[in-house]
Amino acid sequence: MASVDLRGLTKRFGSLAVVDNVSLKIDHGQLVCLLGPSGCGKTTTLRLIAGFLEPSDGEIHVGERLVSSKTRTLPPEQRNMSMIFQSYALWPHMTVTENIVYGLRLRKLDRDTIAKKLAAILATTKLEALAQRYPGELSGGQQQRVALARALIVEPETLLLDEPLSNLDANLREEMRFEIRRLHDEYRYTTVYVTHDQSEAMTTADMIAVMNGGRIDQLGTPEDIYARPESEFVARFIGASNVIKGTARDANHVAFAGATLKVVGAPLTPGQGAVVAIRQHDIGLATQAPASPENAIKAVVTRQVYLGVARDYMLEVADGTSLRATAPTETNVPKGSEIWLTLPPERCRALSR
Amino acid sequence: MTITTTDTPKRRIDVTRPVLWLFAAFMIVLIVLPLSWLVVFAFTDKARRPTLQNFVTLFTDPAFLDPLLTTAIIATTSAVICCLVAAPIGWLVSRTDMPGRQTIRALLTASFVTPPFLGAVAWELLAAPNSGMLNQLYRYLTGAEDPLFDIYSLTGLIFVISCYTFPFVFVLVANALDNMPGELEDASAILGGKAWTTARRVTIPLALPALVAGALIAFLQAMTLFGSPAILALPAGFHTMTTKIWSLFQYPPKLELAAAAAVPLLLLTMLLLQGQKFLLGRRGFSVVGGKYGAPRPIEMGGWRWAALAFCLLVLLNPVFLPYFALLNAAFSPNATTLVTPSTATLHNIVFVFTELSSTQLALKNTVILGASTATVGTILALVVAYVTTRRVIASHRLLGFLATAPVAVPGIVLGVGLFLSYTRPPFVLYGTLWILLLAFLTINLPSAYQQLQAAFATIHPELEDASRILGATRLQALRQITAPLLRTGVIATWCFIFIGVMRELSAAIVLFTSQTKVLSVLIYDLNESGDLAAISVLGIAMLVITFAVVLAVNRIPMFGGGAGARLRNS
Repeated sequence: MASVDLRGLTKRFGSLAVVDNVSLKIDHGQLVCLLGPSGCGKTTTLRLIAGFLEPSDGEIHVGERLVSSKTRTLPPEQRNMSMIFQSYALWPHMTVTENIVYGLRLRKLDRDTIAKKLAAILATTKLEALAQRYPGELSGGQQQRVALARALIVEPETLLLDEPLSNLDANLREEMRFEIRRLHDEYRYTTVYVTHDQSEAMTTADMIAVMNGGRIDQLGTPEDIYARPESEFVARFIGASNVIKGTARDANHVAFAGATLKVVGAPLTPGQGAVVAIRQHDIGLATQAPASPENAIKAVVTRQVYLGVARDYMLEVADGTSLRATAPTETNVPKGSEIWLTLPPERCRALSR
Repeated sequence: MTITTTDTPKRRIDVTRPVLWLFAAFMIVLIVLPLSWLVVFAFTDKARRPTLQNFVTLFTDPAFLDPLLTTAIIATTSAVICCLVAAPIGWLVSRTDMPGRQTIRALLTASFVTPPFLGAVAWELLAAPNSGMLNQLYRYLTGAEDPLFDIYSLTGLIFVISCYTFPFVFVLVANALDNMPGELEDASAILGGKAWTTARRVTIPLALPALVAGALIAFLQAMTLFGSPAILALPAGFHTMTTKIWSLFQYPPKLELAAAAAVPLLLLTMLLLQGQKFLLGRRGFSVVGGKYGAPRPIEMGGWRWAALAFCLLVLLNPVFLPYFALLNAAFSPNATTLVTPSTATLHNIVFVFTELSSTQLALKNTVILGASTATVGTILALVVAYVTTRRVIASHRLLGFLATAPVAVPGIVLGVGLFLSYTRPPFVLYGTLWILLLAFLTINLPSAYQQLQAAFATIHPELEDASRILGATRLQALRQITAPLLRTGVIATWCFIFIGVMRELSAAIVLFTSQTKVLSVLIYDLNESGDLAAISVLGIAMLVITFAVVLAVNRIPMFGGGAGARLRNS
């Protein structure tokens, strides 16, 4: 069983720690997304797993094997992994077929086996008609599928994907997203998927590791990450969240802009500063004071834009904080008007960081 | 599709690192050893005691000061002339609708193949004061007694050096103008700038760094050239630095002085190259990169024929006239008599290939050295370019520096250094072809390395990574992925080195022995004995060999001749 286990993985370039003490255990057959903005160390982590880089500290275990440590790094070719690159890295001097069977030839499989496997993977990736073309003669989506076929045909223990969809247009990206998940479900190899696109991560991953500044900020299922962010970074990076800064009254009440908000999430220390996240579409808007004063705040509309499916509001509360809210199109309040906001307690998440 | 376990690749030991370190060690010996001996000899006396006496002699004795001054004059004036000629031609070829501009560009680029010493001999045929064909023509037309030209003079030497140096400047200027985005000129035009204003305010300032860099290169070339001054200045009774260094090798040899005389050349070259790097480096940021449209050619109307006439007139000097003179001499009973169908003879050719004893040997040596230097040099440059672009080992910077360093070592200086290094244990190579191989290798390494590094830069590293992760070792990835993609670049580099060896004289002249003569040295010897017809035959043979080899290499099936069409990149 090929689980992938990162233990205190660190990679320094000069004095800069690009990957900083990352520990992550990926069970066999799981698809884990490393999600984060550019420069957060996700691609470096992936290249460390692949063996293109040697760690400055820490270890990588694949199954029972120690494959990377400070002193010994198994070269990439001995790791039984596959990788899909951002540029696809299709060899321009080889046909689609030659590209795909390259790995099998290196494994010295006999001709018949290669032919059988090739036919199967061409069918799975719908590439039969293009088998004799050169990569330069394919469209972006077709190239992407060749890259997938080339990586999958060797039946790796571990599959690594480095922003595989970033070069595709929006429609194709959505389609390939489900394609990747479908192929993963079919073959069940351990997969590490690097992306900066949160919806890509949401739709494909079993677990998401949000990375920031070379560290894993939060690890959880897509639902965990979306609904229960633990840090300000995750709240802002995943989906559209407002981050409110107030003062804790007690373990689950925060004083903010003249009102008291009941919150859930990390327990608070009374008297200390508190950071609370609430999503734009969770904020309720009303022109009259709500029946229950709980978690209600008065604000002024500073901008209102009609988006078609909804209205996008920019609101300013008493202490000058700007909040953004998405409301149904029927809620039409002109700029400059006073308005009442309801922040449902179960949607106000106190952040521990 | 059923899931079966595939065999994991067998464990292999990665031997690439030790191999790479071996290359690094070889490079250090190749470059550092001769330069170290040069410095040691320059700063010691015959008993190897440290002294500055060599430099005192060098800078006080008029026998050394005059050549230094002459060299400075030649280098400066040649550089200026090269710029004055190359800049307009570069602009005409790159930016205007002049007819035949592709042909002009091809001819100028091809004139690199002409070895400067061969050009000098050809101009002896044309403009020697008495026998020169142009002088004969002048006397015939005017009835005058005195010759029109005297090629054995400072002016003559500067003229010939400029003829074979300005193509360097031309290529730099034309490339800079090619790469200049057309939008920059359009932007000036749309704001109301007339054609001349645009040229003066936009085009020329942007091309200026390339021109200045070209001037520096021309200066360097003129300063370090050996063949032309040896052929033209020595009969006129004056020396340049290179001929002076060479004369110090004649009996009785004064090796310490030769080493010391090489030091100023070395320092000046390093300084000028630094200046060039500064200029071109800054230019790189401003013009290269970004997506711009191709520039619009400037319409010259009736002037375009005048422009073509100017270009052809210039090309007379390095190409048409010299080759005419050489061809004529090869088939004429007398080197400087115009050949007619009745006087045409094959005697010269028969003489060179059957009677002249050293021809066979020189031909054999040259081809052996050309092919082996090109092969070893390409491999070496390939490895170094790989290491530096892919940063395989920690010391890749040092390796890259070592590979470019010989650029700062003029051929004759390197010859002196190699002579000093390999005439003593532990490496006694003097008198063998090996020392010439080392010399040619060192001289050609920088440009070969730069060419291949540029080729590597166009290959995305992920192409190799993809092969590694699928189970290929580093060497397999290099062989199966990188090598086929580099094919064109490798062939070009091989040919480039081969041509470089054919035209090399300045290092060979201090390193050859009677058994290790090469064609260039043979031609120089024949010039001393005044056998210009034989030189013409050899010179033409040399060019024929060059073209034949270049053609042959491009057709070797192993390199997949004709497969270029499918190398379309994704």
